[in-house]
Order: sequence, then structure tokens, then C-alpha cells
Amino acid sequence: MADLEIRDLTVEADGAEILRGVTLDLDKGRTLALMGPNGSGKSTLAYAIAGHPAYDVTGGTITWKGTALTELTPDERARLGVFLAMQYPVEVPGVSLTNFLRTAVNATQGDGEDVPVREFMSRLRGAMKDLGVDESFLQRSVNEGFSGGEKKRFEILQASLLRPELAVLDETDSGLDVDALKTVAEGVNRLQGPDLGVLIITHYTRILRYIEPDEVHVMFEGRIVASGGPELADELEEHGYENLKTTA
Amino acid sequence: MTEFLLDDLTEEALTGRSDAAEEPSWLRDRRLAAFKRYLDLAWPDSRADEFWRSTPFQRRIDVDRAVVTTAPADVEVPASVTDGLDLGSATARIIDGEVVDITLPTAMAELGVVVTDLATAAREHGDLVRTHLGSLTTSDPEGTGGGSDRTVTVNDAAWTAGLFVHVPAEVELDAPISVQVHASTPGAHLPRVLGVLGHHARATLYLEHTSAPELDALVDEVVEVIAQDASKLDVVSLQRWDGPVQHLSLQKVAAHRDASIRHLTVTIGGATVRVLPECDLVGAGAEVRPLGIYFADEGQWFDLQPYVRHLAPHASSDVLFKGALQGHSRTVFRGNIFVHKDAVGTVTDENNRSLILTEGARADATPFLEIECADITAGHGSATGQIDALHLFYLESRGIRRDDALRLIVFGFFRDVLREIAAPGIEDVALADIEARVEAADLSKVQINDAALQDLG
Ligand SMILES: Nc1ncnc2c1ncn2[C@@H]1O[C@H](COP(=O)(O)OP(=O)(O)OP(=O)(O)O)[C@@H](O)[C@H]1O
Ligand SMILES: [Mg+2]
Repeated sequence: MADLEIRDLTVEADGAEILRGVTLDLDKGRTLALMGPNGSGKSTLAYAIAGHPAYDVTGGTITWKGTALTELTPDERARLGVFLAMQYPVEVPGVSLTNFLRTAVNATQGDGEDVPVREFMSRLRGAMKDLGVDESFLQRSVNEGFSGGEKKRFEILQASLLRPELAVLDETDSGLDVDALKTVAEGVNRLQGPDLGVLIITHYTRILRYIEPDEVHVMFEGRIVASGGPELADELEEHGYENLKTTA
Repeated sequence: MTEFLLDDLTEEALTGRSDAAEEPSWLRDRRLAAFKRYLDLAWPDSRADEFWRSTPFQRRIDVDRAVVTTAPADVEVPASVTDGLDLGSATARIIDGEVVDITLPTAMAELGVVVTDLATAAREHGDLVRTHLGSLTTSDPEGTGGGSDRTVTVNDAAWTAGLFVHVPAEVELDAPISVQVHASTPGAHLPRVLGVLGHHARATLYLEHTSAPELDALVDEVVEVIAQDASKLDVVSLQRWDGPVQHLSLQKVAAHRDASIRHLTVTIGGATVRVLPECDLVGAGAEVRPLGIYFADEGQWFDLQPYVRHLAPHASSDVLFKGALQGHSRTVFRGNIFVHKDAVGTVTDENNRSLILTEGARADATPFLEIECADITAGHGSATGQIDALHLFYLESRGIRRDDALRLIVFGFFRDVLREIAAPGIEDVALADIEARVEAADLSKVQINDAALQDLG
């Protein structure tokens, strides 16, 4: 049994069916790329894994390390090691970035004990340095007024502090210039290892040059319509999704 | 001893007390003048008086009480904000009807700073007190205050424990002057504070209101502070009543030429709290930033009425009040901006935000603008909302439990206001009080606004 098993998943939002039976396996230590045209349902899958309240799972299962994720609240999922780097990170007005991160770190890895402030701050400063995030952000509010690229960096910064075992990266590459993309990809690479499974959602092979996937899957109209090795990504970039639509 | 009843003041009682306190005759005459107006006035009628429309006086305020004129010998007073801080603050306590425990650090005394009880000040600093006492309220016909509210006039006539603070011209203080008003016995309490900042002075005044647990009392308070030319004043008033206290507080400041004032009120405790943070901008180029945060819980009724009067040109005001509510509670924000016809170049803005946490709470907001002058810039706005489901999801998706997520969001809601005044100790105390409230909240009853979920794509 795979660490993450998604079986015949159907998901609705606002009464409309978006995922129409998705099946996918991901083991820790592996990296999957999920591609597909706009509106095909990639983010919906990501949100369903994380437990977003706007998305109703109407059928099928999501099992993570033997536990049915769909039975759990978003915070319980996160404490089981699930992390979603969102395509559109949410601005939370006034909530201090430092307090937010500290609360999240304590919730996910304190074992009931808070991580000592000094240890937390030195880990935070280290992660900020790695990802090229200026120290002035410590005084800012969560995502408030961040540029698109800053938000993406901050998502990966959270991942590196929360040390997930499953990281879903939803278009983390969009909105990043080449240098930022490199920095962020290096951040992801640092996290990779036998204890982390990565599901990377993207439209472009650009990021896949830095983070090499073991498998590539293609979603179209709420289903996985093609699967293959890294070469599939190059094919898609060259020819687009046109011939998929005919096979789907 | 003659009876001293809030609802039935007598000339005899007032004269007797004034003489016993060895108040100068001009002060006694002022009290008696105010007493005459008190006799002419009735208690507010919430149907007739527009400033009282928002709070039903008859139902929420009990005036049938004896005025408390003394302080018991052994009162346990909760620690004040400045107690734990090594700031070199001047501190004073008003307990019930008496001023006790004034501490003025030598460093401040050497600069000529005065913190003393008002009756003493009326003798020793007669000119200053005579000029300013009541100049912003109803007891001085030459002053800027109107004469029509009996809850103010009664204090003008019968104030008991009074405190005088003077920061001479060009004296700049880093440490706050911290006044704790503590109510320990049932009855009517009539504290009074007069502050005067000389030109180019700088000072921070804390007014901290505490009470014995479960105390049923009415505190009818008047605070006046005059900020003379180019002075800088921060006033922070904390309402931390521990019980069903009824609190009526006029906190009026005057900003003279180029003076700059920030005025923060933090309202957490009390059954009915009506605070009027008022400011007269009497000098050109003056500026005022009235700020407020409040958190109302089951049974509480908070009425906040910032009132800014632009009486001089090129002055600016920027009002920001934020409140959270839970349980069956009620908050009223009535912001008033008046711009005199000569106040050209006025810049003013006024905003109120309410966060309703659970069903049954109600927040009313009415920003008023009364503008006689065309050449100005004015804005206002108000909004009431609930916890945003997307904010909650984002925090929860990072492993943060719902109660912690709510606490972070509520703190975040208030943070921009608290950030405006870097007053030592205040943010910590305010957030601790708010945290206690959020912790006591029934999470299952928290209302969540999921409107934002619909327009995802
Ligand atoms: N909350 C929602 N309510 C209604 N419809 C939604 C909601 N979320 C997504 N949809 C719809 O579901 C479909 C799939 O959306 P989704 O965001 O999953 O696509 P995507 O593959 O991530 O697209 P993109 O590449 O543009 O990010 C779209 O048609 C979208 O409009
Ligand atoms: Mg998407």
C-alpha cells in the first residue's frame, strides 16, 4: 500500500462536480508532477487533500499512511505531516508572521512541549536566509501585502519549518523569476529525502529541471488521462494538451 | 454627616465638603455654579437626547446611589500595568473617593512635573487649575464644553477624588504617568483628572480602571487634558472593571497649535461602559489620533463616542475604533466629526470595524460628519464582519488548532490599532485580557463567514 493512496476521488465545489474519479499513488521518497490545462482540477485535488472547506468529497478515498484523511480536520491532517503550498496563499490581516509560524511549529512538532523560543528563532532565521527572505518580514503580517513571488517563497519557508512528510506544491513556480525559482527549488530539494513525498503541480517544465519528478501525471476535466516518466512533461511542453483531449 | 446622594445633591453637602478639603473659594463657587445647572438638568433621556439614543440610560445606569467619598483602609488593589515595568513612571491611585499613593520619581520632580491631588493643586497651583479645570466641560462658561449633560455636570459639581498632572513647557517624559482608578465599594464614584502639558512638552498618561470582583458601582468620571502649543500627548485609558460596573467617562483633550495627541481606549470590563474620547482641535496644525479597541462579552454594553471638533485651520484627525463581540453583547460606535467654518485645510478620517464572533451580539456604527467648511478632506467608513473561513483554513492547514487560530485572528484584528501607540506594557495587558475572553468562548458557537469561499477559482 502506498503512503498516499487516492482512489476514485470525486469532489464538488459549489454544487458542481470537479473531480470525476481520480486515482493516484505516492510514496514517501518520491516526487510526482501533476500537469494539466487550466481548470482541469489540479488545485481542487490539492485542496481536497488539505481539507479545504469549500470542496466536498462526494466519493472515493484519500488515505495517508493508512488513515482516511477525509475524516480529519485540516489541522489534524497537517499534524500528520500533510502540507499544501497554495497556488494563492491567503493574506491574514494583522496576524504576525512570527507568532503564526511559532504556533504552527509548536502544533506540528512540539510533542506537547513548545519548541524553545531561541531554538525556534534560530531555525526561522536560518530558513529565511536559505530562501532569501529579508529579516524585516518578521514584523509583517501573514502574506499581507506580499508580492506574488514573496508569497511563494513564504510557502516554502513554512514547509521547511514544518518538516512535512507530504508536500503538495500547487504552482509554486508561477510568479517567480529565474533566480527566485532557483532559490525556491533549492529549498524544496533540501527538504527532499526518504521521508518526504512531493506532489508538484505545474504548467511548465521549468521547475522540473530543478526538481526532477519520478512520474508525471496529466489531469484533464477532473481525471488523470495520462501518466509516464519525466519525458511526458517535455512532450506536453512541446505539443501542448491538444492530443490528450482527443484521447480523453 | 450630611447625606451625599448622586441623585439628590445639596448645596449644604457640597459646601461642607469643599470647606473641609480647604478648597479655595473660587473652586467652591464653581462647584456651586455647576450644582445650579445640575438642578436645572434632568438625567439623560435616551429618546430625546441624540448622544444618548444608543444607550438606554434608565435601563443601564442606576443613579440612585450614595456618593463614595472615602477609601477603606485595607483595599486589595490589582497590579497596574506599570507595576511590573521598571520604567521610572509616576504613579497615582484613586481608590473610591480618595487619592492615595502618589509616587513621583525624583527625576520627574526635578523637571518641575507635578502630580498631586486636585484640592492641593487648587491651592498651590491656583492659576493653572483655575484656568483649566472645567475649561473643556460644563463648569466653565468660557470653556469649550456644552452645559447640557447632567452626567458631566454632576462631576463638575461633586467630584470627589481629583488628580492634577502638570508637565511644564519643554519637559519631555519617556516614562508614563500612570493613574489607577480603583473602585472597591458599591455606590457612586466621581473621580476627576486634570492634566496640563506646557508648550513643547511630551508625556504619556495612563488611566487604568479596575474594581473589586463583582462590584456593583457607578463610576462617573471626567478627565480633561490640555495640550499646549507643539506638545505631544499620549493618553491610554484601560477599562478593566472586574464586575458589573457602570462607567461613564468623558475624556476630553484640547490640542493647541501644532500639538499632537494620540488617545487610545481599551474597553474590556464593565457592564455598561460609555466612553467619550473627545478632542477639540483649537490650534492650527494640531493633530489627533483617537483610537479604540474593545471586546464585549455576554451582557456587556459598550458605547464609544469619539468626538473631534476641528475649530482651527489645517488640523487633522484620524479616528480608528475596532471591536470584537461575543455572547449577548452590544457595542455602539458613534463617531462625530465637526468641522467649523473657519477650519480650512482640515483633513479627517473616521473608521470603525466590528468582528462578531458568536450569534446574539450586535454592533451598531454611526459615523457622523458635521461640516461647515468646504475646503477640507473627509472620509469615513464602517464595517461589520465575522471570522473569515479562508483565514481560518490557512492557519489550520498549518496544523494550528481552531482555538489558537481564532486567537491569532482576533489578535490580528486588533494589532494595527495597538501598533499605533508604542505605549509600554499596554499591548501585553490588552492582549492578555482579550486572550482570556477568547479562551472562555464557546468555539462551537463561533460564526464563520464563508462568503469568501464562493469566489475561489
Ligand atoms: N470554490 C469553487 N466553486 C466553484 N467552482 C470552483 C471552485 N473551485 C474551483 N472551481 C472550478 O473547478 C474547476 C477546476 O478548478 P481548479 O482550480 O481545480 O483548476 P486547476 O487545474 O488548478 O486550474 P489552474 O491551472 O488554472 O490553476 C474550474 O472550472 C473552477 O472554476
Ligand atoms: Mg490551480
